[in-house]
Amino acid sequence: MNSRPYRLASVFALTALCAACATVPAAPPPDIVRLQNDLDRLHSDPRIAVNGGDELANADAAVATLSRTTRTLDARSYQQGVYIAGKLVDIAQASALARYAEQRGMQLGAERERLLARAGAINAPLVARDAPAPLVRNSNGEAVIPARAELETMQGELGGLESRVDERGLVVRLGDFMFEPGQPELTPTAERSLDSLAHAMRVKPNTQASIAGYGPGGDRAARAATVRDYLNARGVDLARLDLRSAAHAVGAGADTRVEIVVWPDYR
Amino acid sequence: MNRCRLLLLAALLAAGSASALDRGDAQLELAQAINAVRSAERDDAARYAVAELDEAHAMLASAQRAADDRAWTDAATFSERAKVAGDLASARSRQQRAEAATAEIERSLDMLKTQFSSGGVR
Repeated sequence: MNSRPYRLASVFALTALCAACATVPAAPPPDIVRLQNDLDRLHSDPRIAVNGGDELANADAAVATLSRTTRTLDARSYQQGVYIAGKLVDIAQASALARYAEQRGMQLGAERERLLARAGAINAPLVARDAPAPLVRNSNGEAVIPARAELETMQGELGGLESRVDERGLVVRLGDFMFEPGQPELTPTAERSLDSLAHAMRVKPNTQASIAGYGPGGDRAARAATVRDYLNARGVDLARLDLRSAAHAVGAGADTRVEIVVWPDYR
Repeated sequence: MNRCRLLLLAALLAAGSASALDRGDAQLELAQAINAVRSAERDDAARYAVAELDEAHAMLASAQRAADDRAWTDAATFSERAKVAGDLASARSRQQRAEAATAEIERSLDMLKTQFSSGGVR
């Protein structure tokens, strides 16, 4: 059997295959594909696409540069580029989501103010109606008078503060957002809100307050001290402001806050 | 990530190798890495972005060990990684703080709406 035609056909087929391979671009490495997919995901998320800013542009540029130069890089430079580009993508995502949350927080805050204004009582507090009536005790620890009405009157004078009346007294809660990030200083909004508490305590000189910081951060005690000092600077005697050390919850879900508990002292 | 860092990345990739980095380059990178990690610490990353800050610390430690050994290329490589890891820790911390604050405001607003619906707001 003459095998020459078959050999020729095989040579032609092999040549054609090689030519085809040479004209098809090599697929990008999996790392590049992953980075591009991550970027596509960020661009398709409206929260990120709108708020991406420079960080998203930098991530785009880094991944494009890496993709363009992959073939010229040695293994070390390639790995470095993948690491840095990956972090830039993550930074773009985190920065955009932070901006989104900040804007949403401002919108919600404005909505809250509108609701309060609509009620015709900008000083209306947040009241937990189902809280039990507080008991005020004398120096012997005896319950002498239910003070809920008095505390609720005070509560009605608080502006922009989250508060409730429970068995401890009038509990005013200052969340993490009432302080400068990572700092013990009050935000200007928090200071304005505390002015109303200081005023209410000046009007009712028989009231006392205990102040305690909670949460995993090391600055909780400093924040509580800041609140005490602020109230003192607004005319509340230091003798009426008891700074308490508080047991603190450690963990990602721990609630960072300062609580002020106000109660009437009938002694 | 600032524009300079992006340009540095582009230059690094275009050069195809980090082997040209000398002691001065490495020390500059190391100083910038230290600043980025400290900045992340000031941004409360130890509370809000623990894993990211740990990674930045690990990269910075590797960079400092390499610098001690006068391995300038390794020092620059790890410093660059520590910088972006520190930047990421800062960004994540800002994200977590913002989301926590927003959740708190949302909770307050929900309480207020509940009081409105029950006629409890005076």
